[in-house]
Amino acid sequence: MNGVLPYQDWARTERTAREQPHRGYDDPTAHCFVAGLPRSMYVPSPFHIVQTDEHVVLLHERMSWRQIALNRTQHLPDNVRLWQGDSVGHWEGDTLVVSSRNFNGKFWHNEVGDVVSHMQTIVETFTPVSATQVIYRATVSDPIPYTRPWTIELPLNRMEDELLEVACLEDNNDLHHLKDVRDEWRAANPGKR
Amino acid sequence: MKILQVLMLSLNCLVIATAQAHHSFSAEYDDSKPVKLTGKVTEMKWSNPHGWIYIDVVGEDGKVTNWGLETGNANALIRRGWRKEDLPAGTVLNVEGWQARNGSANANISSVTLQDGRRLFAGTSNQNAQQEK
Repeated sequence: MNGVLPYQDWARTERTAREQPHRGYDDPTAHCFVAGLPRSMYVPSPFHIVQTDEHVVLLHERMSWRQIALNRTQHLPDNVRLWQGDSVGHWEGDTLVVSSRNFNGKFWHNEVGDVVSHMQTIVETFTPVSATQVIYRATVSDPIPYTRPWTIELPLNRMEDELLEVACLEDNNDLHHLKDVRDEWRAANPGKR
Repeated sequence: MKILQVLMLSLNCLVIATAQAHHSFSAEYDDSKPVKLTGKVTEMKWSNPHGWIYIDVVGEDGKVTNWGLETGNANALIRRGWRKEDLPAGTVLNVEGWQARNGSANANISSVTLQDGRRLFAGTSNQNAQQEK
């Protein structure tokens, strides 16, 4: 909660490398892959929550979704690896508590490249505090890149709006521009990544 | 029924968190290269993951350069009050933004000002300009 991620040395080095402009091409969301977790919860697009007795489904406007199972307590087998992981939830009073694991570790936490591994597990809480706001908290445990668990907290504010279509691959000019930046760097730095 | 269910089952109830971008702003654009341009719209793409406005800008030497101006995605523009009929070809715009890192005639823009004085915010991905999103 001090604003600094507790990096292992190797991961801090990788994170620093990802700040370089030529690494912008490597962010999976630039290629329109789904954002993973908890990044899906803070991308700049809204999401719609649909609930049944057995599931909570988050429909993210930016072309992805996640299912939170309320009808089981066990996670999927360890060999099943997913971009959005496997989420299992239960109620503690009015707070929805969600455990997620089984990530593929391929995504970044944000566009500047904070590091994720396949060992990541997350405990999230969704706590309503008013008719228009839920406080979202996620505690991330990922012993490969980090020395200890860390926690983020942000408000989720209700919008009176409709979910709109987003087709990320429709006209993804950025990818060409980001590739140009990478290719120019590689041309100037032969043999380097 | 839990409070969260009451809150979230309402029709058309969406939730939005704080913003981050589809890609790295600093990988593609240079925060130290702010640009102010005036030009005529040649094309507007209401597309994803970003919209694009193309304008012809006349330089001091009289040479015309067609600039590509990146905005937030089409949905972000709609939610900021933009409509397709706002920017027909030939519309004169004043725009503010940041030029591409490689010096090409591309920019990520923060706002567009129409000749009637209306100013539309463009959903820039520049984290240093959050207050203008």
